[in-house]
Amino acid sequence: MSSAPIVAENLVRHFGEVKAVDGINLTVEQGEIFGFLGPNGAGKSTAVRMLTTLLRPTSGTARVAGFDVVKQADDVRRSIGVALQDAAIDPLMTGFELLELQAVLYGIPSSKMKQRADDLLERVGLTAAADRRVGTYSGGMRRRLDLALSLIHQPVVLFLDEPTTGLDPMSRLTLWEEVRRLNREGTTVMLTTQYLEEADQLADRIAIIDHGRIVRQGKPADLKRTVGDPTLLINVSRSQSDAAKSVLSRFGELRPTAEGSLGVGLRGGAERVAEVVRALDDAKIVVEHLELNQPSLDDVFAEATGHRLEGAENAPQAG
Amino acid sequence: MRRKPADTARQLVALSRRSTVAIFRQPALVGPSMIFPLFFAALGSSAFSRAINLPGFPKVDSYLQFTLAGTVIQGVLFGSVTGAAALATDIQDGFFDRLLAAPTSRTSILFGRLAGSSFFGALQALVFLLALLPFGVVVQAGVVGYASIVVAGFLTAFAVGALMSVVALKTGSAEAVQGTFPVLFILLFLSSAFFPRETMSGVYRRIADVNPISYMVEGQRWLAIDGLSLTAMLQTLAIPTGVAVVTTALALRQLSARLAAR
Repeated sequence: MSSAPIVAENLVRHFGEVKAVDGINLTVEQGEIFGFLGPNGAGKSTAVRMLTTLLRPTSGTARVAGFDVVKQADDVRRSIGVALQDAAIDPLMTGFELLELQAVLYGIPSSKMKQRADDLLERVGLTAAADRRVGTYSGGMRRRLDLALSLIHQPVVLFLDEPTTGLDPMSRLTLWEEVRRLNREGTTVMLTTQYLEEADQLADRIAIIDHGRIVRQGKPADLKRTVGDPTLLINVSRSQSDAAKSVLSRFGELRPTAEGSLGVGLRGGAERVAEVVRALDDAKIVVEHLELNQPSLDDVFAEATGHRLEGAENAPQAG
Repeated sequence: MRRKPADTARQLVALSRRSTVAIFRQPALVGPSMIFPLFFAALGSSAFSRAINLPGFPKVDSYLQFTLAGTVIQGVLFGSVTGAAALATDIQDGFFDRLLAAPTSRTSILFGRLAGSSFFGALQALVFLLALLPFGVVVQAGVVGYASIVVAGFLTAFAVGALMSVVALKTGSAEAVQGTFPVLFILLFLSSAFFPRETMSGVYRRIADVNPISYMVEGQRWLAIDGLSLTAMLQTLAIPTGVAVVTTALALRQLSARLAAR
């Protein structure tokens, strides 16, 4: 097996009849930011929970930081940092107290505990709020504290499960910057996200997961190139939808879109937009909205799965 | 790499501290479990003041003196559910996962949670003993008697907290834990907490005879009324210890089952 920080081979997890993760294979190399992209329920969090020892695989194997996630679970735990989306932070404790507790759990000596906690609080911009109870923190502050907690023992591999879900654009940018900084310092990062922009901005490589299976894997730019043509999106009235589809299909392959839109992979790109407009006009189709999008990860997702990434359009835009 | 015992001990202390601090940061939780038992004691003292003359009652100066032990146990039962409910909340909210994702000793997670409500149980016992002093309710066994009742408060809270933790670990629901509490309350009323077993008859008496709460209460009652004796001391401390051994074993088994089911 490879010596990469994260290696999974045929990893499977069933919950009764449900195949939450259905045989994934992946390798995350040293110093990478690896993005796990998929809609809610795709199997991202289940996969991460197996890699972080919180769930036992039904079958398959995985090694994290060189240790088997089942046979050497405690060694894995000592080597990784984990910030889980659905793991609450005790609202009755202060930020500093939680860092102290986390330090004890990871066996950090008392003599180094305070300095380490102070450094991390400063790093995530929470020094002033250190002695406030977490119940008074905003969502962004909690996520930054969560990140600090996951770094208390200077892990070699960091797992971030949907680190910016529900955050405002400014908090997202702050967190992204911190993730990049950690990565520059040598930490291998695996993050799950349902936000296309997040995966595009942060990840060196991504895996797209749908229904428990990895359907595409590679560098975002390479994946986008595989889609080829840009997507021409138009909005027309419902009554003209079929006629519009017929016209569009003459210019390329129809692509899945969000409800209310029609899309086509436009062969020949931007140069042919005028031609499409004329054809629609000749067919007496009233176009309410038209836009040409360069291939995105959503196109990659749509091409791989036959549907758009759920909720992608609603994701808050950061910058 | 195996975890060192010193690391496990440090984890247990830190998790115990967390659960203890959490209790005292929730006044809405502390207040009722301190006030209601004293309220019931006052009510009982007023309503049953002449009951002490009934055949079967021990020789006491007041009903309040008789019911001191019942008040302590009642308060501790109230408070002991908090630890298990907090454990269930940890499971519900995902804090439990946070602990599991770290190299945390699994038993420390359970014992750390129980420690908070156990210390609270000891404090409750002390507060009840002190609160009833101005009303002439004195523990005849002296300092040793007071100390034994306070320790018994800790042990009882631990024993009952462990039992409730079985529900918490089985269901992962704080509501389910709270929902089980009335069973404890019924058991309290089906014990000798408020009347001596000698005054009972029929099914009520038979249940009280096999109810461990009766024996926990009676040990403390003897210390309060009759003074220091080895039997009273043993009963005060050994019964909750025995119950704690059994309920802790059940809780550990349920913890293993929950972890194995992952």
